[in-house]
Amino acid sequence: MKKFKQNAPAIPILVWFGILVGIPLIFVVILSFLSRDELGNIVVRFTLDNYKRIFDPIYIKVFINSLFLATLTSFITMIIGYPVAYFTANLEKKKKALAILLIMLPFWISSLLRTYGWIILLGNTGLVNNLLIGFNIIDKPLSMMYKFSTILTGTAYMLIPFMIIAIYNSVDKLDRSLLEASYDLGAGKWKTFFKITLPLTIPGIAGGFTLVFIPSLGLFFISDLLGGGKNIFLGNLINSLITKGRNKPLAAAFSVGMIIMVLIVLFIYSRLVKRNTGGADENSII
Amino acid sequence: MDKPLLSLTDVNKYFDDSHILKDISLDIHDGEFLTLLGPSGCGKTTMLRCIAGLESINSGDILLNGSSIKDLPPNKRNVNTVFQNYALFPHLNIYDNVAYGPRIKKSMNEADLKVRINEILELVQMTGYEERMTHQLSGGQRQRIAIARALINEPDILLLDEPLGALDLKLRRYMQTELASLQKQTKTTFVYVTHDQEEALNMSDRIVVLNKGVIQQVGSPREVYNNPSNLFVADFIGDRNIKKVKVIEKNGDYVRVMLKDNIIDIKCSTNATTKDCSDDYAILAIHTDKMSISCSEKPNSLMGTIISVHYSGSQIRSQVDLGGEKVAVIEYRSNDCDYKKGDKVYITWEESGAILLPMEEGFKERSGGYEEV
Repeated sequence: MKKFKQNAPAIPILVWFGILVGIPLIFVVILSFLSRDELGNIVVRFTLDNYKRIFDPIYIKVFINSLFLATLTSFITMIIGYPVAYFTANLEKKKKALAILLIMLPFWISSLLRTYGWIILLGNTGLVNNLLIGFNIIDKPLSMMYKFSTILTGTAYMLIPFMIIAIYNSVDKLDRSLLEASYDLGAGKWKTFFKITLPLTIPGIAGGFTLVFIPSLGLFFISDLLGGGKNIFLGNLINSLITKGRNKPLAAAFSVGMIIMVLIVLFIYSRLVKRNTGGADENSII
Repeated sequence: MDKPLLSLTDVNKYFDDSHILKDISLDIHDGEFLTLLGPSGCGKTTMLRCIAGLESINSGDILLNGSSIKDLPPNKRNVNTVFQNYALFPHLNIYDNVAYGPRIKKSMNEADLKVRINEILELVQMTGYEERMTHQLSGGQRQRIAIARALINEPDILLLDEPLGALDLKLRRYMQTELASLQKQTKTTFVYVTHDQEEALNMSDRIVVLNKGVIQQVGSPREVYNNPSNLFVADFIGDRNIKKVKVIEKNGDYVRVMLKDNIIDIKCSTNATTKDCSDDYAILAIHTDKMSISCSEKPNSLMGTIISVHYSGSQIRSQVDLGGEKVAVIEYRSNDCDYKKGDKVYITWEESGAILLPMEEGFKERSGGYEEV
């Protein structure tokens, strides 16, 4: 009863989530076990065929593609994002606020527009090629569009603010006296970074990893626009199964597969955070 | 006296426009327990951080064993700090926390290190806690680990920044004794920062009283307690009645002064010359707990009227009106008479409890005690 009273304020939020997240999710799971007729209408007939089809080698390749993209994106954003977050957190107050504003600024513009921006930059008649040709550095335009690396660039660009903010938060709340204690005990700047700062900011890195990894599994318009549809990822696949393939049950099965992948990532994250803080971190995202 | 272990010469430190340390010169000797005492904002912590290397100094020099360390980073100075909030590494267990310094410096192999850690944990009475994480320890235990983590490096000087501030009163008293005996056992030089005069008087060999970035007095606990060199020290350490008195005449070592209508012969502070006390006015400072009240007239006593009496267990705090001057008296044993409000009484004090100080600008009279009536 006491516990109920403590948790009472959370009930409206739970109801909210239950209606807006829980119920649609249950529909997706139910849908994944149903069949469709020739016209693409859903037929209420239980089947496991959708799940069997997921394991088709073609589709397995899509899963692997997506995992590869998501993992690589997470790593790249982490490697670029950590120094940015670290220096931002060490700025003086006014500059810090400005830096955070600049990091968040892209969110004010539609992500679709920003993706088109990359086409304007990287296309054969884009800004980069025009400049390079204009300065006589190259003769023929470099082909930078419709490649895996283009998609990777676009995805990493889109999601890096999440990584920076997550790491920034953990660096910012790091107790400076711990660093002073480390210097005091004989460690230089680098040793202190690797022995104190880095281990203590792992929850932030893991949080950023999760925040980048999960959406990069599902983003489909970036690979559509920048990849030219040559590389198929889970997001594209689910999108085209619903819009063009008229096969909602199969799309639902893929969605369930994606959710399971996400859950695995979240599980690893929570273990990592627990291990690194001895279960005493109150700022973990789950 | 032998060569100082650490010596600060004309150290100045600014933070932006504020002058935090003003021409600080101080010698610290090997094996002593030195306390930097002062109110908050007096620069004592900054001074400690300058010695540790966590703050740079703007001018002056700091010599450790005769060579300048002022430009060395903290990791190159053989001094260690016990931080106010302990600053134990939360991701490491107790063993790894204590092992941090030796491992960084690679000063011993793991087998020797293990023996050494056992020794040092025994010294701070924390054997058996090696595997615990820091958040599983109480405040007093963290304190001990912080000391162990610093002491294992065998620093020339151990710097302690208000290490007992976060502990409750009982534990604080206990740890004072512990720290003092630990210092004697390890023969390490301790430089201890506190704003608590009881801590300072209790543990130190020498006390440095600081105010507004200036050293006010350096001396043994007895010296600073009984013979304050100026008004600030007199007011800050101990509980005194501080009164403005009119100087009548100089009489050898004694100065004859007038407190309202009472004539008193008194010695000037040993840290000032008798001449300093011989302007028109001087300051009389009397320890409240070295005064006593009696109902019958005694030699050299002053007559007054009881304003209020407070019993608080071990002590009796009274306020007495000495012909217009209000003074506070604290007595620890029951008296020859049971005085109460309105009674005529006679006040006496031990000679060592009262001193005369030169007049200072901005002087404000006050009576001791913990409350104004």
